Amino acid sequence: MIEFRDVSKIYPNGTVALENINLKIEDGEFVFIVGASGAGKSTLMHLLLREEKVTSGKLLVGDYDLTKIPNFKIPYYRRQLGMVFQDFKLFEKKTVYENVAFAMQVIGEPAKVIKRRVPTILSIVGLVDKYKNFPTELSGGEQQRVALARALANNPRIIIADEPTANIDPKMKMEIMNLLMKINSKGKTVIVVTHEKNIVDYFQKRVITIQNGHVVDDRVGGMYDETV
Amino acid sequence: MRRYSVTYFLSQSLKGLWRNGLMTLAAVTVLLSCLVLMGSFASLVYNVNVNIEEVAKLNEIIVIVDYGASDEEVAEIAKQLDSLPNISSIEYVSKEEGLESESQRYEEYSYIFEEIADENPLPDVFKITYEDNSRVANLVYQLNQIDHVRKVNNRTDIANDIESIKSGVSFIFIWFLAILFVISIFIIINTIKIGVESRSREITAMRYIGATNFFMMTPFILEGVFIGLISAVIAFLVQNGLYTYIYNMMSNNYKMIAIAPFVSIERFVVLGFLGIGVFAGMLGSAISLRRYMKV
Repeated sequence: MIEFRDVSKIYPNGTVALENINLKIEDGEFVFIVGASGAGKSTLMHLLLREEKVTSGKLLVGDYDLTKIPNFKIPYYRRQLGMVFQDFKLFEKKTVYENVAFAMQVIGEPAKVIKRRVPTILSIVGLVDKYKNFPTELSGGEQQRVALARALANNPRIIIADEPTANIDPKMKMEIMNLLMKINSKGKTVIVVTHEKNIVDYFQKRVITIQNGHVVDDRVGGMYDETV
Repeated sequence: MRRYSVTYFLSQSLKGLWRNGLMTLAAVTVLLSCLVLMGSFASLVYNVNVNIEEVAKLNEIIVIVDYGASDEEVAEIAKQLDSLPNISSIEYVSKEEGLESESQRYEEYSYIFEEIADENPLPDVFKITYEDNSRVANLVYQLNQIDHVRKVNNRTDIANDIESIKSGVSFIFIWFLAILFVISIFIIINTIKIGVESRSREITAMRYIGATNFFMMTPFILEGVFIGLISAVIAFLVQNGLYTYIYNMMSNNYKMIAIAPFVSIERFVVLGFLGIGVFAGMLGSAISLRRYMKV
């Protein structure tokens, strides 16, 4: 479970990015986080990634209290998360296979486990036949699928996707979202930060709307209300 | 807790070097240029010192015996020399030995020595080294008083000057070398830094995946070590070629200048280049990575 208890984040220059956020995301939930640019979505992500510390309040993710976690434990905490970014953040000089394998090498998985598991994950995202390609040889949608495969490599409990459909063509957007739904159906918590009204409205999942650093709307089966 | 394998880190760093070929080439070129520059300068300093030391070996007085002095008279001179104070060694060089020695020194002109062998123009000499430079004037006076001594050659004043020049030259050279070393390290660090920064996205992605600082840093540090090793080996080959070329040229054309053969400095060059190369490579990587090692 992810729990924000009265979480505020104020940057050193005085900008209040988030104020008194109270949220609970249960294990296995699918959640859209929506809001205009500068609303505080990115800060929320950075707090979840523990790139930033909360200024006040408490942030709990599974067994970890992110307000108290010592620095040396942060890499181990992050291994519970599978991150997907709008710019993919793939290793351009590694092949598709190596990109996925790398996530497993990071946690010290033995080579034979990696060899067995990577093709399985690539088959989930439909990229088995492209395992030798480099990211630059793939379309945006394919790159995002590699990023998804990498995020899944270590069997994380939570997938966080930051604008996962932003840099891909319309046809592929649904494919990526369907993959995320499929992952969610296997019991993983999926958090998708997005601007895309069509997608949010189509899937009818829980929608948390953030505005000016506050949660202004939170409903299951919600829609992307752009007037909020 | 799972352990990372050494082969994994080695293969990652070698792949990193290969896939970032241009940056590797730039770092190796800069590092090997700096090493050759430092090596050349150190060789120059070494050889200047060798030459200065040669000239500085002048705590020697040559006592030239009269032409035609008999064996008994030479023996008498030797006896008197033995009784003088402030003498640390006496070496008798007969005119035959003198001719032989000169003949070996200038062996390409041996025909000249063969021609004059029957009428050897060299005198018998005693080579004397002394202990105390401050009392040498008195010693020279006493030597001049001995019968059948034709001349006493003494260059202590020059020796003293050269000793002080040598200290000054060494001092300047060592400082210059140190400054060159610092500048080289600075250039190397910046070159490696450019390479690391061009891969900042890769490092950021590693952090998000949950890589520890140790896991992220090790391949880069090893890359630095490999860059150092490759540079050191190439620099050694370049230095060897350059030095040998200059050695041959100087030996043929400037016999007055003594140059140590490369083999005599080889060990220092190898150790120096490997040490500096690996140290600079590692330091460059470590400093460049420091800013990315936040949590």
